[in-house]
Amino acid sequence: MNIHEYQAKKLLKQFKIDVPKGFIAYTSNEAQRVAQKISKKGPWVLKAQIQAGARVKGYFIDKRARNISGVEIVKNIKNVSQVADRMLGNNLVTSQTDDKGKFVSRIYVEDYIKTPRSFYLSFVINRIHACITLLVSNITDNILDLAQKKPESILKINFNLNQKIKKQDILQILSFLNLDDTFEPKLKIFVQNLYKAFIDLDATMLEINPIGLTSDDRFVAMDAKISFDDNALFRHPDIKQMYDDYETSENVLKAAKCGFKYREFSDGNIGLIVNGDGLASAVRDYLKQINKNTACYLNIKGGVDEDKIAQSLKIMMTNPKVEGIIINILGGFLRCNLVADGIISAVNEIGLNIPLVARFEGTNKEMAKEILSKHHFPFLTADSLQEATLKLTKAMEDND
Amino acid sequence: MSILVDKNTRVLIQGITGLQASFHTKRIIAMGTNVVAGVSPHSAGEIHLNVPIFNSVQEAVKRTKANASLLFVPAKNVKTAIKEALEAGIKLIVSIAYGVPILDVLEIHQMVKEHDAILIGPNTPGIITPCEACLGVFPENIHQKGSLGIISRSSTLTYEAVLETNRAGLGQSTVVGIGDDMIAGCHFDKMLELFHKDAQTKAIILIGALGGAYEEKAAAYYGTIKNKKPLIVYITGFENTDDMGYASDILTHGRVTIEDKKRIFKDVGALVLESIDDLHETLKHLK
Repeated sequence: MNIHEYQAKKLLKQFKIDVPKGFIAYTSNEAQRVAQKISKKGPWVLKAQIQAGARVKGYFIDKRARNISGVEIVKNIKNVSQVADRMLGNNLVTSQTDDKGKFVSRIYVEDYIKTPRSFYLSFVINRIHACITLLVSNITDNILDLAQKKPESILKINFNLNQKIKKQDILQILSFLNLDDTFEPKLKIFVQNLYKAFIDLDATMLEINPIGLTSDDRFVAMDAKISFDDNALFRHPDIKQMYDDYETSENVLKAAKCGFKYREFSDGNIGLIVNGDGLASAVRDYLKQINKNTACYLNIKGGVDEDKIAQSLKIMMTNPKVEGIIINILGGFLRCNLVADGIISAVNEIGLNIPLVARFEGTNKEMAKEILSKHHFPFLTADSLQEATLKLTKAMEDND
Repeated sequence: MSILVDKNTRVLIQGITGLQASFHTKRIIAMGTNVVAGVSPHSAGEIHLNVPIFNSVQEAVKRTKANASLLFVPAKNVKTAIKEALEAGIKLIVSIAYGVPILDVLEIHQMVKEHDAILIGPNTPGIITPCEACLGVFPENIHQKGSLGIISRSSTLTYEAVLETNRAGLGQSTVVGIGDDMIAGCHFDKMLELFHKDAQTKAIILIGALGGAYEEKAAAYYGTIKNKKPLIVYITGFENTDDMGYASDILTHGRVTIEDKKRIFKDVGALVLESIDDLHETLKHLK
């Protein structure tokens, strides 16, 4: 799960990490009011709150905001509400969003702080070494590109879970950044606090890009991005509440409420219902090979409840892009008959005017086939993925 | 022969009395698994599904000489349960549940290493040597004893591979799901090593995915083996769009695509499939 920058900064403050003074605003009037609360003279920084990076280089969809980006420095108080007005209710497109961008429902107004030096620092889970890795770089722009083209410009230090951050680690960072050793005590506290936040909050990534070094020698988190481990959210009910529905599409939310994963693709007209992400992508690969494209997939892995299965099937059946459905279930833990019951109950409720082919394998597959064969709707069944695809393609042509 | 588990493996089940655990314990006993003990503090002293229940792993090991543990405990209790198994001297642990917090997994990983044990999972269908032992939730009646070793990150694609090896009349030596969580207890390269030492295994199927670099490690290891057994590889997955993808992209020096992963396997002489459907033809030629 991800949260917004302003929420992340609020959390970091609790870990004694220095952040610029700021307030959240949902309207342009509110933006002006909080700006005056921050300082009398400004300047202020207005930051569109979306959960995607590269906002500085982003642009807004609406023409009235074409000349501003997702992060604007405003010098005059009169302009605060003007800029805020252009950002709010608009869609912001960046290199990390799709071309529709993300809806800006709120902006963060911050005190503008001059930082003569700045650098990149993050903690991430390292999947290969099963540890936590600290990443540092002098270059704050497009870290992913940097990782590919100049990996030597990123310093990596691995930590085991019970390993502490020591003086020598900090000295290594300072030397890498060409900063003076005298910063060691201050930077040590800053990095230790970040590491504590990472562990205590069950984060999978904590990225500060950039950390600013002010002229009075303070380290300040100018931006903050935290991703949390969904599996550990039960330990953090307060964080769970920060979830922003605006960031997720309606269908994905509906499926998530049933405990399942749903994903849409930009092209294609075939819907897949499977149990497992691996299976979903394998079927999509197969379809691609024969020039067919997937519109969306629903992963009902671990399903044990017929009603929830039916609820989520309806999401796919009512997607106007979907002109045919392949159900490919290889039941181990999941029992095939539950899926068949779910299909029947969904079709009974909303009907179905597109072809549907089901392939069941594994636990209770015969039961599942029988359930479908008894229904008046002409469901198609298959014994292999190849057969399922052939039958569906033919039925879709006949349906045209 | 087989790897890691066979009919002599003495299996202990942690959390045996739960609803799902009971369902699967019954099945794996029917599949021939030698289940010698269960652990469930609330039911210690009782007999459940003909299996004696103990208060602790320590006691179960002392009384029954159990040497492998299958965990059916909820995700949030997995860390404690694995710690208990390791301290009782168990060297092979299979953890089924998905949703174990990642920081718990990091801790578990360290403990497993310190005890020189092997962990399969979490988030795995488990491990099965057909007709001998099943430590997991594999579907019934689909496995056949044979010569193919299967290692996979995706549980459903494992079943697909099993069905194809049956169709080809080859069957399986041992099937291992290494798990589809962010961090797997055991990696592909270790399994490749074990399958190469196993006389029953004539060829290996590896089903990998995007994210992480277990495939790269496995390919590098396969490249160093002198007497290679044929290795069939299928890689799938969706482009990294989440933040974990982003973080591991930084760690692996940029975005890794499916084509990248396929190429490194081709370079070391593996047979790389374009689609899972091609497995059928490839196995035919293997004969």
